[in-house]
Amino acid sequence: MLSGSMSTPDRPHIPKEELDHIPGAERSTRIDVWWWLVVLVVGITVLLLFAWPDPFMNIFKFVQDGIVITITVTLVSFVLVLIVGMIGGLGRLSNKRSIYVISTLYVELVRGVPLLVQLIIWYFAVPVMIQSLGKVWNLPSLENFQADPVVMAIIGLVFCYGAYMSEIYRAGIQSIPKGQMEAARSLGMTYFQSMRHVVLPQAVRVILPPIGNEFIALLKDSSLVSVVAVADLTRRGREYASIHFDPIEVWMLVALLYLIMTLFSARVVNWIEKKTKFER
Amino acid sequence: MSEPIISIRGVHKYFGKVHALCGLDLDIYRGEVVVIVGPSGSGKSTLLRCINRLENYDRGKIVVDGIPLDNARNINAVRRDVGMVFQSFNLFSHLTVLDNLMLAQRVVRKRPSTEARQTALALLKKVGIPDKAGAKPAQLSGGQQQRVAIARALAMNPKVMLFDEPTSALDPEMIKEVLEVMLALAAEGMTMAVVSHEMGFTRAAAKRVIFMDEGQILEQASPDVLFSNPQHERTRQFLGKILSH
Repeated sequence: MLSGSMSTPDRPHIPKEELDHIPGAERSTRIDVWWWLVVLVVGITVLLLFAWPDPFMNIFKFVQDGIVITITVTLVSFVLVLIVGMIGGLGRLSNKRSIYVISTLYVELVRGVPLLVQLIIWYFAVPVMIQSLGKVWNLPSLENFQADPVVMAIIGLVFCYGAYMSEIYRAGIQSIPKGQMEAARSLGMTYFQSMRHVVLPQAVRVILPPIGNEFIALLKDSSLVSVVAVADLTRRGREYASIHFDPIEVWMLVALLYLIMTLFSARVVNWIEKKTKFER
Repeated sequence: MSEPIISIRGVHKYFGKVHALCGLDLDIYRGEVVVIVGPSGSGKSTLLRCINRLENYDRGKIVVDGIPLDNARNINAVRRDVGMVFQSFNLFSHLTVLDNLMLAQRVVRKRPSTEARQTALALLKKVGIPDKAGAKPAQLSGGQQQRVAIARALAMNPKVMLFDEPTSALDPEMIKEVLEVMLALAAEGMTMAVVSHEMGFTRAAAKRVIFMDEGQILEQASPDVLFSNPQHERTRQFLGKILSH
């Protein structure tokens, strides 16, 4: 952290001893105490795993493929959410009335329905809809449509989180002074060139903190996909608990595993924020 | 005189119910420096912003260098050749000075990066800040920022330069350095339309002064004629206020 603040060449070099006397620049704040929380939670988890391998190591071995699924679903969804959110955010700012109305309807409707309900619709209702359409139009490929749980779960998460992300993008773009767009346009750049090279790079810096929050929220909400037949961390935990009847140990470990992932993500987000702040 | 490079015919512009431009006609010729003066709210900036269609107008016709401003393709073509300098500089704050000057050259003119860099560095030298190429806009003074903004517009090799109150946001000391760059540009024969109340610059560089009031051109003449012998009472009142100090 210390080296980060020294990267700008014209910043005067301040000796460490002097920094310790400046409020807010004490070594403890610079090291970022919250990393210790990550270390602590990881430590407790490792202790449980090795001090009491039965049942904790057994549980861990059983749910570890679920961790992979949780991380995969979260990362894939998040990348898609970033893209959908950008399109939605630009749509919400469009001068074209039809685009504005469609993107506004999307945002307002999706934000008003619980994520769990949306996931259930995507996995249980949409495939039936597709199958009946296939029957009506006499298309065997649609009639025999089988929904893949992971794919439908990712679609559901992206559809829902994309709406929230649209609003974040919209706010970020609106926070950039109009003159930036005007200057770019006056140089002959098209709307999209101006967005890509001038407005979005500045907006992204503004919206980095809320985007980070969305990532962590998405990581936690990915546990909801366990109800639509995706074998994620939560579902694997439930399966183990129903076989061995030890809910306390199972859910304690599952909670700790989620905690490790979210705390670690929060630290990474925080670190990225600090990095980009110095460039402004 | 030859064909005008900018031809404005019967342009009307409304902001809601406010009639900002009331059927304006104006021709600007190649190599001419035109200064537009008038009280605030008279439509000077709106007129200027209509020339590169940053502002839409409701009726009338504007033709720039033979290209009518009537569809997106034409508007972008006109903007490539018409540089604009803003009151608030509007430098791209996330880019270095050099990248500010190179961006549109590369994206719009498709110049290779080495060529764009050479053009940029030459222009920075011309506006007197060759040593600031690597700086971010926030590290520059207002006068330096405005000179970078002028260089950024010049990097596109514009045929016309529009200046929208380029010195209004500057300290008196910095006004001079910007006006010097503008004077040099005028001396090179650049076609310029300037909204400004800098009388020194106007006297030295302007071929024509246009006085606008309430969305109309009330009168226009060379600076000497207009300043010493205004025809309208309204012009006299206005000039009395700005020439007295």
